[in-house]
Formats: sequence, C-alpha cells, structure tokens
Amino acid sequence: MTETVQLFITCLIDSFFPHIGEAMVNVLNRAGVKVDFPSAQTCCGQPAFNAGFRSTAVPMARHTIRVFEKTTGAIIIPSGSCAAMVRHGYLELFKDDPAWLERARALSLRVFEFTEYLVDVCGVTGLSARWSGKLTYHPSCHLLRSLGVDRQPRALLAAIKDAEIIELPEREDCCGFGGVFSVEHPELSAEFLKRKIANLDKTGSPTLVVADTGCLMHIQGGLARQGKNQRVLHIAEVLNNQ
Amino acid sequence: MTLKTFRARIRQSIADDNLQIALDNNAARRRDGRQAAFASLPDHEQRRLRAHIIKADVVANLDQYLNQFIDRVTANGILVHRAADADEAIRIFMEIALASGAKQARSDAELKPLLVAKSKSMLSEEIDFNHALETAGMRAVETDLGEYIVQLRGERPSHIITPAVHLRRGDVGKLFAEKLGIPYTEDIPVLTNTARKVLREIFLTADIGISGVNFGVVESGTLALVTNEGNGRMCTTIPPVHVALMGIERLVPSLGDLALFLSLLARSATGQKLSVYTSLINSPLPGQTRHLILLDNGRFALQASPLAESLFCIRCGACLNACPVFRETGGHAYGSIYPGPIGSVISCALVDPQLAYLAQASSLCGACKEACPVDIDLPGMLLCVRSGHSPQKPQTKIKEGVGIHPAVKIGLTGYRLAAASSGLFAFFQGLGGLLSRVYSPRRSYMHLPDWTGWGYSKDFPRLDVHPFRSHWGKIVQHVENKPIRLQESPKPLDPESRPPGKSLPDRFAEELSALGGHAYIVSGKELPARLAEFMESKKIDRVLVDDEGAGFVTGIPTLRQPDPSVRAGVTGALAGIAETGSLLLTSGAGETLKASLLPEIHVVVLKASRILPTLTDALAMPEVGAVAAGVVITGPSRTADIEMTLTIGVHGPGELHVFLIDDSMPV
Repeated sequence: MTETVQLFITCLIDSFFPHIGEAMVNVLNRAGVKVDFPSAQTCCGQPAFNAGFRSTAVPMARHTIRVFEKTTGAIIIPSGSCAAMVRHGYLELFKDDPAWLERARALSLRVFEFTEYLVDVCGVTGLSARWSGKLTYHPSCHLLRSLGVDRQPRALLAAIKDAEIIELPEREDCCGFGGVFSVEHPELSAEFLKRKIANLDKTGSPTLVVADTGCLMHIQGGLARQGKNQRVLHIAEVLNNQ
Repeated sequence: MTLKTFRARIRQSIADDNLQIALDNNAARRRDGRQAAFASLPDHEQRRLRAHIIKADVVANLDQYLNQFIDRVTANGILVHRAADADEAIRIFMEIALASGAKQARSDAELKPLLVAKSKSMLSEEIDFNHALETAGMRAVETDLGEYIVQLRGERPSHIITPAVHLRRGDVGKLFAEKLGIPYTEDIPVLTNTARKVLREIFLTADIGISGVNFGVVESGTLALVTNEGNGRMCTTIPPVHVALMGIERLVPSLGDLALFLSLLARSATGQKLSVYTSLINSPLPGQTRHLILLDNGRFALQASPLAESLFCIRCGACLNACPVFRETGGHAYGSIYPGPIGSVISCALVDPQLAYLAQASSLCGACKEACPVDIDLPGMLLCVRSGHSPQKPQTKIKEGVGIHPAVKIGLTGYRLAAASSGLFAFFQGLGGLLSRVYSPRRSYMHLPDWTGWGYSKDFPRLDVHPFRSHWGKIVQHVENKPIRLQESPKPLDPESRPPGKSLPDRFAEELSALGGHAYIVSGKELPARLAEFMESKKIDRVLVDDEGAGFVTGIPTLRQPDPSVRAGVTGALAGIAETGSLLLTSGAGETLKASLLPEIHVVVLKASRILPTLTDALAMPEVGAVAAGVVITGPSRTADIEMTLTIGVHGPGELHVFLIDDSMPV
C-alpha cells in the first residue's frame, strides 16, 4: 500500500521558495510516497521561540499541533531547524503544561526531516538523480547537531549520478543565520557569512547544497550582495534533477 | 555595561586585525588540539555522559554533598568558611590576612604591604578580589603567566583558561620592556624566563598564597587543583598561609570521579591528556595554615532555576574555543569575566543581572554543546535566558525576549497574528509578494538598507507572488510503485585498533617522552652508577632530596631543606601512571613536594612494578586520601600563554628524568 505523509512546508519555502516544495513532492513520489498538505498550516513558531518570546510562540505551536493532529502518518519537514523545533522545542515550550505537553510529545514522534525520512524510514538513496558537475554540502547547524542528521543527506548526495562531491572546508561552521541573530547582531552574522562564502570559493563548486532554507536564503543573500555567481540549492532541488 | 556598549565593543573587536589573527589562531589550534586529545580516549562519549550524570546528581543534591564535604575538609584540619556573596568572601579573607599578619609579628609590618601570591582563580575574578586587596593596601601578584601579563596591563583575563589569548608576542614584548625594564624582545622563552625570575621571588617571600579549586572531592575532602606552570603548587606549598577559593558547585563525589573529570578537563582545555600538575590537597603541611572559602554568590539561585545545568561546568573553556561568536569578539567584548557561551548563560546570575542580553549573541549553532565535556545543553540554556528564565532579583525583573530590539518584537508579534489562521497568512504572503516586487522589480534578491540588520551584509529574497499553498491544488502526483531501495553496504565494523599490549613501563616511558620527559629503565644494581653519571653530565654537585631520594644518591652532598642554589631534586614516587606518563608523589617523607618543584631538574627513582595502568588506579590508592598533600606530575613544567606557543620550564622544573628500576625479574 502506498504510504501517505503530511507535508509541513515551513513558512520560508511556502512564502519564498515554493519550487523547493514542488521538488520535494516529486522526490517523495519517486520514493513511493504520496504527499498530503494540510492547508491550515502556517508557521511552527520557531522565530519567536528562539528570540525568547515564548508567550508569542505558544499560540503558533498550538495552531501547528491542532492542524497536524487532525492527520495521520509521518510529518515531513524540509528544514532541520523547523523539525528540531517541533521535535525538541515544543517539549521545552510546553514543559509546564501537561495537557499540551502530551499533545506535543505525540506530534514530535511523527516528525521527520526530509532527508532523514528518505534514508532512515524509506531506505532510499538511489533516486536516479543526476547532476553534471561539482556539488558541495553545508551541514546546517540544527540538522547536524540538534537532529544528528548528517549521514543521510551525504548518502543521498553520494548516490547522485555524475556529481562530483567536494568537501566544504570548515563545513560545520555556522553560516551566521541563526534566525533573529542575523538581524540582532548583523556585524557578527556578517563575519560568519564572509567566512562561509570564502570557504565555498575554495571548493570551486558553482553549487552549494543545503537542507535548511534559513541557511539557503542567508548564504544566497550574501552571494547576491557580493555579486557572486554560485547558487545555493535545497537538497530536494538537486535530488529532483534527472 | 549596556547592550549598546556591547554592540560597540563587538564592532571594535571585529575591526582589530591583531585581535582577529590571535583569535583565529586560538580557534584553529584549540579545536585541533582538543580533537586529537580525545582521539586517544576511545570511550570519550561514555565518559562525557557519565560526567553529565555525576554532575546532575551533585547539583540536584548540592546541599547534602556540600555538608559532607565541609565535614570532611574540616576533619582534615583545613579551616572552612562559607560566604554568601563577594563582600562576605572578601571580609573573610581580610580577617584571615590580619590574623596571619599579626601572628608573624614582623617588625616591618607597618612599612611593607602584605604580599599575596595568587594562582589563577576565576572565582577571584568573579568577585574582583585583586581590586579589594589593593584597596586594603595589600600587594597581590598573579603568578600564572597569562594572568601576570594581563595584570601588568591593568586588564582582566579575556579567556577562562588562556587569559592573554587576545595578545600577540609583540604586545607582551612591549609590556615587559616597559614594566620590567628588559630590552624589547619577541622571544617567547626569554619573556617566559623573565616572568619566572620575577615571580620566583614572589613565591619565596609571599605571606599568603591564594588558589582556586578545580574539584572538591566529597569522600576524602581533597582539594584538587590543576596548573601547567607550577604556580598552583608554589602558592599552595611555599607560603605559610594558603587560602583556597572555591565555588560551592565544584564538587565530585569520589576520587574515582575525580579521575574521570581530570581526564576530560585537560583534554578539553588545552588538548593535554592531563595537566602537568594536579595538586591533591587534604590538609595543611607542617607549619602551614590552610583555609577554604566556599562561595555561593548566586549559585544556589542558579540551582533553583531552569539554568541549574550550567552548574555542571568545569571551566575548561572548550565552548569558548568552539564558539564562532567568541572567535570574532574575544573575551573582553562580553563585559563579563565569564565570556563565551557559558558566560552568556551564567553572567546574568553570577556577575550582573543586566548581562542577560548576552544570550542573544548566539546563532544557536550548538558547537558549544558539542564541545562541552559535560554535555551541558548550552543552546537550551541560552534560550532559557532569552525567555527571561534566569534567576531574578525583585528589583531587576528580566522580561522575555531580553536584548531584542523593540522593532523586532513588534514584527514577531505581528507575525504571530498573521499566522493565527491560514487565510490571513495567505493574504499577507500575497501582499508581501506584491510589495517586494514593487521594491525590487528586477532582482530576485532585494538590497535592504543597513539599519534593517539583514541588509548590513546580505540581500533578502523577494516573496513569491504564488506561495506554495496557492499551487498545492495544481500539483499532480505520480507515486512510484517500485522505488529504488537503499543499497548500502553494511558498515565495516571498526577493527580493534588497539596496539598489541605494551608493557606498562614501556607505555609510561613512551607517554613521558612525548611530553618532553625522559625515562630510563635500569637494574637495581646499576642505579647508583647511572645516577652518578647523570649528575656528572649535568654538572650537579649538590642535590635536594626527600627521604626516599636520600637512599639513592651517592657520591655528592644531599640537602633536606630547600636552597635556591641547588639545581636538582631527587625524589621517590608513590606510583607511575602508564596511560599519561604521570607520577604520583605524596608528602610525608621529607620535603618531597618542594624537592620536586623548586629545582630546575627533577629526578625520580621508581620501581617499575609501581607503574599502574590508569589515573583511576592511582587515585584509588589509600595514600591519596590519607596524606597531607600529593601531586600528579605529567611532564616538565610548561606554558602556552603567549600565542599558544609551548614553552618548557616555567615555575616548576624544566627537566624531568625518571629512573625506572626493573624489578620484574627475581633477584
């Protein structure tokens, strides 16, 4: 029987990069998975939570819980930080509210980051994706450290035909996004970004692959400001290329 | 300090090229060093979790452990004082100083200020101890090279472990030329040796020695103190009065736990398997008075707050070295003596409640948690501080979102309102899409002005006029029936990469020589001749000995009491430790602790059968808790306080030679 998953698109992909969402649906279809989209979803509340405004984050988290409680099956999120928010952040947010904590816990068990789901749940790596040329991968902080997801995107990239995967120097260093950090501490954020782009330059790769849209818009925004030609792509876009 | 000055200092640090080079070097060297040191510990992940669990128990039952510890320390003959805050700690010290000054009844007491030799202590920085001593007319001299440098500059340390990390050799050269009157030099050994000479005089004449405490061991009442240079040993061994300052949370239940934490501390702090000197202090030495001041200063409040986990910290500085923010700002920009990720959590509780805004200076990347040897959830703690969950005093109520610009707060509130329903959300998405097209008709990334924060260094993407939710209905799905499943070859199991079992003496000798020490395996019969030959080759005509050493030395005069002109000391040792190339020495049979510390060459004679496999084995010996004091010596005295350049021979011996008597064969 075909498995149906729920797509939590994330507000960034929804608003800024809808084509990533489409690529993701295609890739999941190729992995034998049907996708459903609960249209009442909005934002998980991570920006407010990370800024310290928990009372602002609570209604957003409740909204998300209510929307996805009405569905069944795995919830797939194409972003390490949003997946970490629902899996871990909600438990912290509702730690003093037993009723909501229970609901948050039930939801957290259903949540998977996109590459994590493909590799660990579907057991897929070879998606007959093809890419001519060099690719380099930036492991997003929350994906790497909060979810411990690193092997999965690497396995998916390694299976892409014709692609030459180049290791990004100092790859585990933060790109400087960090949500409100990128506007609250612009000078620090700028320095991280400068270093990340300098490391990207060292690889000679025209394409940087990420699995988190926050990093994508941050690094692409830096490249645009510096007038550079490299492109930052979400891993779903690369896997969708045949 | 205010948020505004914090931001100004960040800009200043980023613009300071000299500082940036120093910080980049620090980040790279410390990270590599730490990783290499942990590679030698195959079970380091388990150790890290064990350490976390032990600390969780200690912090949860702090009152009980603390009382047991105090009972034990008191029974050992150390005078224990408890201080609720900085003022009380300082007042207690002043009383101790007055009493000891009176006891000495020096004729020149009125003319000469009381001299205090200080070993590095973050706690003393926390309570601004030096300032209080100076105000009281005492002379306090920092004796850790890095601390000495920053003290001469009139600064505070910029790092928990390497106080002068913000400086380069030229800065130190200029400082020493100006303050110590030596010709300008960038030669690090010359600079180090200059400090050595000045500070040796301080150690020998100090009225009081002050030290911190890295770990207090509850079961034995032992105060454990680690240093690389040997200044910690000097301050706790030479002056007639020793005062130890300790935060109430720095406890470990047993000596076995101490071994675990020591194995994590040095690796995390400096990339060493063990610091050069681990002093194990149980009671006063003959003729000495020891005091322990236990300070709360906000720690019990932390324990009762959601930030309790921050009390697990062993002050190794690994989170500073891993932090990309610290790498840009250095320590001084934080405006707190505790910088970096841990500083951004605890400063508002231990230093100043106003410092809660420091917690916003983090991208929450989690490199700090990954580096923490006790697995403290630092990003989680930073989030707690941001949400106003730091311990609070009634007059300084911290609100949630501390340190966030009001405009951002308004934006986030507006965003919440828009996200309350998908209809409203879609409306604002459409509006945003249109507005961003008006703002930037051609470029898909918009150039926003600097004041937006984002626009300072990057462009911002336009919102799509057709968000994903608007196309969802149009997407046609073709679900593959037979998807390609994972064809991963099973992971090769890590072969047991342990080298074939080396003998303990061989392993010991190998580790010791990697540290710059020397081991010689000799038979009991040849020992006297080999020792005599050694003394002759070093042109040593007199040696300082302890009881055991006296039995080995023949042919040259031996001294039992320290004399500055004697260049070598010969001692025995209770045990050797193979895994780290260390020696365990204890007091009680002559002046072992001084003979192994004051001369520039230290010679140890030890039966090879007394080499134990691990530090845990050595600390399990009953003598460790029973003697007045002991020390674990791991290589010759060293420092890396100037540009992280390793320099051998600071306050302790620069040469360490171990004669191992091969007693494996029956005579």
